[in-house]
Amino acid sequence: MEFQKVTREWDTRKKDTLARLNAAAPLVKEGKIVDAKDAVALLETVIKPFDKVNIEGNNQKQADFLAQCLCKMDPGKVHDLHMVQSVLTLPEHLDVFEKGIAKKLDMSFSGPQAGRIAEFLQAGKLELGAIHTYLELYGRYFLDLTPKVALVAATMADREGNLFTGFSTEDTPAIVEATKFRQGIVVVQVNQIVDKLPRVDIPGDWVDFVIQSPKPFYIEPLFTRDPALITDAQVLKGMMAIKGIYGEYQVESMNHGIGFDTAAIELLLPTYGEQLGLKGKICKNFILNPHPSLIPAIETGWVESVHCFGGELGMEDYVAARSDIFFVGPDGSMRSNRAFSQTAGHYAIDMFIGGTLQIDPYGNSSTATANRVAGFGGAPNMGCDPKGRRHSSYAWLKCGEEYGIKEQLWGPVHRGKRLVVQLAETFREKLAPGFVEELDAFKLAKNANLAIEPVMIYGDDLTHVITEEGIAYLHKCRTMEERTAAIRGIAGFTEVGMKADPKETKRLREAGIIKTPADLGIDISKATRSMLAAKNVHDLVEWSGGLYNPPAKFRNW
Amino acid sequence: MALQTLEFTFKSEATQAIAKPWSHLGVTGSGDLEVLMEKKDLGGDVKAKVITPVKGFDQVWERMLAKFVNDTGVGNVSIEINDDNATPIVVYMRLRQALAEAQAEEAE
Amino acid sequence: MRSWNELETGSFFDANARERAVGMVDKGSFTELLGPLDRFMSPHLPVLGTAVEFDDGTVTGVGLIGKHPVFVISMEGKFIGGAIGEVNGAKMVGSIRLALKTAEELKAAHPDDYEERRPMVVISFETGGVRLHEANAGLLAHAEVMDAFQDCRKKLPVVSVVGSKVGCFGGMGFVAAATDVIIMNEQGRIGLTGPEVIEQEMGKEEFDASNKALVYRTTGAKHKYIIGDCNYLVEDKIGAFHAALADVAAKSMEEIEGMRRIGSLKLVQEQQGLVKLVGDMQPKDSMDLWKYYGNEDPAELPEMTTEEFLKVVKRRVRP
Repeated sequence: MEFQKVTREWDTRKKDTLARLNAAAPLVKEGKIVDAKDAVALLETVIKPFDKVNIEGNNQKQADFLAQCLCKMDPGKVHDLHMVQSVLTLPEHLDVFEKGIAKKLDMSFSGPQAGRIAEFLQAGKLELGAIHTYLELYGRYFLDLTPKVALVAATMADREGNLFTGFSTEDTPAIVEATKFRQGIVVVQVNQIVDKLPRVDIPGDWVDFVIQSPKPFYIEPLFTRDPALITDAQVLKGMMAIKGIYGEYQVESMNHGIGFDTAAIELLLPTYGEQLGLKGKICKNFILNPHPSLIPAIETGWVESVHCFGGELGMEDYVAARSDIFFVGPDGSMRSNRAFSQTAGHYAIDMFIGGTLQIDPYGNSSTATANRVAGFGGAPNMGCDPKGRRHSSYAWLKCGEEYGIKEQLWGPVHRGKRLVVQLAETFREKLAPGFVEELDAFKLAKNANLAIEPVMIYGDDLTHVITEEGIAYLHKCRTMEERTAAIRGIAGFTEVGMKADPKETKRLREAGIIKTPADLGIDISKATRSMLAAKNVHDLVEWSGGLYNPPAKFRNW
Repeated sequence: MALQTLEFTFKSEATQAIAKPWSHLGVTGSGDLEVLMEKKDLGGDVKAKVITPVKGFDQVWERMLAKFVNDTGVGNVSIEINDDNATPIVVYMRLRQALAEAQAEEAE
Repeated sequence: MRSWNELETGSFFDANARERAVGMVDKGSFTELLGPLDRFMSPHLPVLGTAVEFDDGTVTGVGLIGKHPVFVISMEGKFIGGAIGEVNGAKMVGSIRLALKTAEELKAAHPDDYEERRPMVVISFETGGVRLHEANAGLLAHAEVMDAFQDCRKKLPVVSVVGSKVGCFGGMGFVAAATDVIIMNEQGRIGLTGPEVIEQEMGKEEFDASNKALVYRTTGAKHKYIIGDCNYLVEDKIGAFHAALADVAAKSMEEIEGMRRIGSLKLVQEQQGLVKLVGDMQPKDSMDLWKYYGNEDPAELPEMTTEEFLKVVKRRVRP
């Protein structure tokens, strides 16, 4: 056989980058530092049409100054960019499409810009590659979506370009590593340039340009839930979860969603959890942002470790003072890292539990609405059964043992199953139903021309649903028919629930597939806010011994 | 536009009367409701009157109240509710709390 | 409802109107007048499709502190933001008039020890002012309440209690200022125009309503206490309010008159002095004033517990 070797240069990327860096050299003041006023000129020099560009937008930390600069570029010079970014939340992230600077988008999560993405898609202003989960997108950074230019944010830099990302490290290492090691260009906005960093999070030779932004990067306390807003219904569901799932499966490691439902659970551990004698048996290892609502559980000795995707404003001092629990650097401050946290969340934890907006009779669960392309973030990475897991634990084995179709699928092999739990209210505010015959995700897929419906958690991964009516242990079901009956049985007075056959629901209760609050021995009239270990933000500050410093919007003093 | 009044009567199986002559619980806050329960000789029945701004949920109210009567076995009670967009779970929880209050001994 | 003992140690801020009314007077002494069973509701709201409440959002009744009959008016912020309409406005006015009538009867029956039995009016404000659905009646109620205050002047104390979520804003901010004594917890706020409205009118640069720390520095109890608008700053416990009320009840009417903010030429001049001071010094933040009155490290004050704050705070000295 004869091999045909290609004749080509093998370092074109390197040469191209070098040419761009040379062209930008006159803008460099000293070391790697470029003045903020020259930022637009810098970007116009290092970015070329059709480049893949990553603008760091995390859940919390935003490279907001660079995003503004990107919008100010001349679309005559730079156009048709392919934006690859995990979170798209700032108006500027979409303005680049409006202005004709960018054309294609691959992303994970969009939050407040979700409505505009749908609009742009319909108007043909934007081509959507795909909506990914976080790990999936990070994976593609190293596969076929490697950025040519990354615009990232750090807290501090020194003159050599070493970066301190600290508490809010989040996505930065994943982006910079992918970009730099495929000969790309890394531009950083920093809040401060200093002589000596507290610690080096990103080495300087991975960084090309450092710009001190006129204002510190924008950061929002996204994960602070004011206990004052937790309802009695959330307390009830929290008690059901602790007794019917955490206790029953002795769940030691987990991720909590970011809603009020799971904040209620965190605040019930020192009270209701204690009453049930579960301390030391459950809730030891968390993959979780530093939720202020976790403080009472930490202070009462429930929690052994917490690794964080990102930081949370106001929790800096508390976390630093609890270095046995959190991941804290030699400088004394926490380092978050979304890629590693998501990896742990995908493979290693026993349970994912979170709230959702809609569940269909098959158990598919979605937060999509018809006219908003909001994406997923990391929930699907954690809200699924990871087939690559090979270590066992009590919770994982018990859930696998109970799996209703294990004989058909697994044969004689012993396997476990991730607990994937959704908390839903049969009706949400304004009486919007939590259970629907068809998810809005179907309408969205049609409206936004998506190849697949953006389902957050697939029905076959979902093991438990908790509503005020009861818990459905879906993984125990042997057929889709039984599964649907179990969902209808706890869907209350929604269209889905009204179709429940009371006889079948009764049979499912007897089979232990549905458990009502009464079956769990919970007195509904006692499920009130008085059960919460902290009733407001002020209480959390007290629990923390004054170490938690809530942002101004959460204070009432 | 105007508020609507819904009235229901339920036959109760167990007819367990409340302890106090009357009892009140809750606040008509947004997404919430207040409940007034009065002990009355209704031949074992439960009468319910709901004043609500929400339209189109008559059947849900009826089934929710029937479930409450069925679950608790309460009877000879008149229940009046002022509602402001409470979800069924809030309604059910308030009813259970109101009943507990109506049955409670006066605490110290 | 929680027992009286639980209410005494429970948070005032978290309590509803009825719990506050019961807990602010002596154990077991509260009798509600026009309670839920009377179904004394707004005739206007049903027509407009707005939910109603059996007590129209205000709990009224009478209890005792020692031998003093205490006429309590307690507003519920969760019901239409505690706004004042026709029925709850009339309940408020009626309660004050009833207190005055009781005062006259007690004075006649007990001329020797009237002071010991002197009634008191206590208003637990949680309101943004007039209820827009019935605004004329609500405005009229404001006027009638102010009028009734004048009738009570120097005969029996009228006390404002402010420490609930909504605070005391709009026209009711004026009403509270016209009472004899103001008692607040740290969470209490008094003002005229609400923070969101100021932001809307003057812009976010001037006043950022989402900056709750700023809102509290401007309208909150610690500021009001330093300036002298608030007479008692107490812990967030219903029992602490109860104790402060007992302290007021034991004072002479002359002492109580001395706690007022407005209502005489001298007091008007004192207020004008404050206006002049603000004109001269052009403070950018309440903390500038705190510093002016001798608080060396004003930024520390909001962080302190009520107990710590009361130990170190320097207040405006009244002339």
